[in-house]
Amino acid sequence: MDYYLNLINTIGIHTLLGLSAYLLILTGQVSMAQAGFFGIGAYTAAIFTVIFEWNILSAIGAAMLVSGGVAFLVGFPALRVRGLMLVVATVAFSEFARMFFYNLKWRVVRDGAEIGPDGTMGFAEIRYFNDNGWLNWEVTIFLWIFVAVVMALIWWADKTRIGAVLRAVGEDELAADSTGINVTVVKVAAMTAGGVVAGLAGSLYAHQVTDLDHHTFTVLLATFAIAYPILGGLSNVFGTLIAVVFIQGLLIEGLRFLGDWRMLLFGALIIVAMNIKPLGLFDNQTIRVLRNALGVKRQGNSV
Amino acid sequence: MLEINALSKNFGGIKAVENLDLQVQSGEIVGLIGPNGSGKSTLVNVVCGVLKPTSGDVIFEGRSMAGQAPSTRLRHGIARTFQNIRLFGGLTVWQNLWVARNSPKDIRSQSIVRRWLGSSAVLKREIETMLEFSNLADKADVLASNLAFGEQRRLELARAVAAKPRLLLLDEPAAGMNQTEVAELEQRIRRLREQGITILLVEHVMQLVMGVTDRIAVLNFGSKIAEGTPNDIQENTAVQEAYLGHSDEV
Amino acid sequence: MEDFWYEFVEVTQTITDGLLFGSTYALIGIGFTLIFGAMGKLNMAYAAAALGGAYAGLAGFVLIKAPLVLVFGISAVAAAVLGYAIYFACFRFIPVNNHLAALMASVGGLFFIDEVVVHVTRGSPLTFPSMFGDVYFEIGPYGIRGDLVFVFVIGLISTGILLYILFKTRLGLATRAVAQQDVAARLCGIGVHSTNSVTFAIAGVLGGIAGAMTAAAVGVLSPVMTVPLTIKGIIVAVIGGLGSIPGAIIAGLFIGGFENVFLYFRGIDERDMYVVAVLFLFLVFRPNGLFGTAITRD
Repeated sequence: MDYYLNLINTIGIHTLLGLSAYLLILTGQVSMAQAGFFGIGAYTAAIFTVIFEWNILSAIGAAMLVSGGVAFLVGFPALRVRGLMLVVATVAFSEFARMFFYNLKWRVVRDGAEIGPDGTMGFAEIRYFNDNGWLNWEVTIFLWIFVAVVMALIWWADKTRIGAVLRAVGEDELAADSTGINVTVVKVAAMTAGGVVAGLAGSLYAHQVTDLDHHTFTVLLATFAIAYPILGGLSNVFGTLIAVVFIQGLLIEGLRFLGDWRMLLFGALIIVAMNIKPLGLFDNQTIRVLRNALGVKRQGNSV
Repeated sequence: MLEINALSKNFGGIKAVENLDLQVQSGEIVGLIGPNGSGKSTLVNVVCGVLKPTSGDVIFEGRSMAGQAPSTRLRHGIARTFQNIRLFGGLTVWQNLWVARNSPKDIRSQSIVRRWLGSSAVLKREIETMLEFSNLADKADVLASNLAFGEQRRLELARAVAAKPRLLLLDEPAAGMNQTEVAELEQRIRRLREQGITILLVEHVMQLVMGVTDRIAVLNFGSKIAEGTPNDIQENTAVQEAYLGHSDEV
Repeated sequence: MEDFWYEFVEVTQTITDGLLFGSTYALIGIGFTLIFGAMGKLNMAYAAAALGGAYAGLAGFVLIKAPLVLVFGISAVAAAVLGYAIYFACFRFIPVNNHLAALMASVGGLFFIDEVVVHVTRGSPLTFPSMFGDVYFEIGPYGIRGDLVFVFVIGLISTGILLYILFKTRLGLATRAVAQQDVAARLCGIGVHSTNSVTFAIAGVLGGIAGAMTAAAVGVLSPVMTVPLTIKGIIVAVIGGLGSIPGAIIAGLFIGGFENVFLYFRGIDERDMYVVAVLFLFLVFRPNGLFGTAITRD
């Protein structure tokens, strides 16, 4: 039972991660920064519950503020790079965040034991749920309430002018600019919102696994984050959820029996998938937005 | 209203626009013609803020537009359509007009929140009016990419006019149209003028240019080679030479 | 005063060592930039192929006691073969304007190669023979490691040969033509796919040499080197300006030197953070790198 609850929790957290990337891809920004925001949210929330002994909701709120704030700051330089370079820049950011936490050492003594992030040893003993008597299924419900709320919010926003504006920017930035949309505001807002959601995902993750290791917050995680909305399509939020269920549920859990060979197959699968149906997995809108987002214009660079 | 002073735009070694002077008075419909490659589209892009001029100035209603982004210029009152239609294909007709900027008057009459959500009654009425004007009322929920070509052009025009601009730059709006459609477009442009919009029309289709403009400027190789009324231009030998071989007389 | 002089010597020594080692980054950066210049795409599997080649070279050393030159040669050839395989699997059949699919496919290639290496070596690091490891030049207060000089010289020679090929042979001419205008090149009868494969192979040769160089300088080959090397290679290519070989060279040396300085002042854990921060700064203030041409607004 616990095994399945864990899986459901993972699906929930990854859905939030995917939704954070979804918001960004809608505006044409293919961002690998979600892993960084996720990590920031995780460590911040954990620090608040463990070191400052806040309650979980306040800690999550603080984490969302911090990761949102960082995302806001990242949003501006992100405007200056497009396409593949944005991918590189956001990878750089996520790596920076990861290495920052790898070096973060903030140990305090509580009840005779040392707690807090311990640099290269990670951040263990995030025991809020255990210490406060939460049962496993209660954690799952708690987590999924957040997921449901975020999905509902995005779903609703998509039906208002906000959604249309986001998509307009993703479709054609120049036309959007010429039609009076303030592209800067839209893109930075999307990055900030993405940061907030990823931070939320991270803070939930930290308390669910009770033990943070920098190896989690890598480019691989960021790749998953953008893979979900791309595979699930940009029409609506449910696509992302389905993609998460598919990848986490079917592929990862299903291939668990392969043990060590799993990564090998995974790599080969990606290559095969990209070759066979490089566009077929995506719906029209996704293709159009991605083409716009990643089309590289080379201006006669000499080799 | 619009002053283009000594404007030049170079792309590397290519002088797309060279030392151009042009004025457009309020209420006019000015035509801009010239053979392919004469710099017309470049000029439009510079005036609208898509391209930065290499030298020279664009002054609108007494204010220099240097360094202003297209959306800022729209706020000041300059709108444009695109030569190769740039609608938001994944959005419906309604949504295309929804995301476009409202006129300043409409903006002031809505609260910020309602504006962002796009739920104000004022906005809805505006969009419905524009759909009527463009004969697209029954296509409100059709994806822009699924529209017929003529409908797309009408939507593009409607979107540009949504912000109630004072100056409208039309970049080859009649390209690919048949005679009936061109006549309809002519009517629409006249109605826009009646609503108080000044128009700069870049076009190849002579039927439209000669029929609707007050004044025409002719470009060739980035410079102005002639300027005058449609009659003057038709009889101008320099213009005829520039167009030698070009047959678009309808 | 004594202390200052001492510190000064230490720092310049560090920078020099870093510069010499930076030649490995320069080669990897050239490889990334070559492929980007030719196809407009980032090959995420490049460094993995380079290290794969180094493993092959090591195999040569271990199995048949190959002499140094042969080890490098095997690394180069193996990496070239791997490079071609990556081209075939991840770039050949994917439509040219689908950058994301190619990127993801090459990421898949990265995972795949890494996992194969892990399985074959059972994940443990292997010692790589270091060349001239016991040679040590002393010039005044400075000591220069012979193996680093060797690595640097190999880098110089390889770059020289590469430039010769690119600018003085028909093959190089075809490569540059495809890089600039592939449609026109096709119309002139230049086979784009064969030229691109050759580009990948040439980049592969460079990569194999760079991989062997890195392993020789560090003394160890391990699969955990792949991702950091990939990231450093991309950083170097980007900072130098994508598509620019001189840029990659200078950026490679620069990063090598900088990295060592960071290492000296802040230790190994924080070192990589600063390198990444340098990349970020460049992307924000000079997104086209040192020698990339400016991308004008649409």
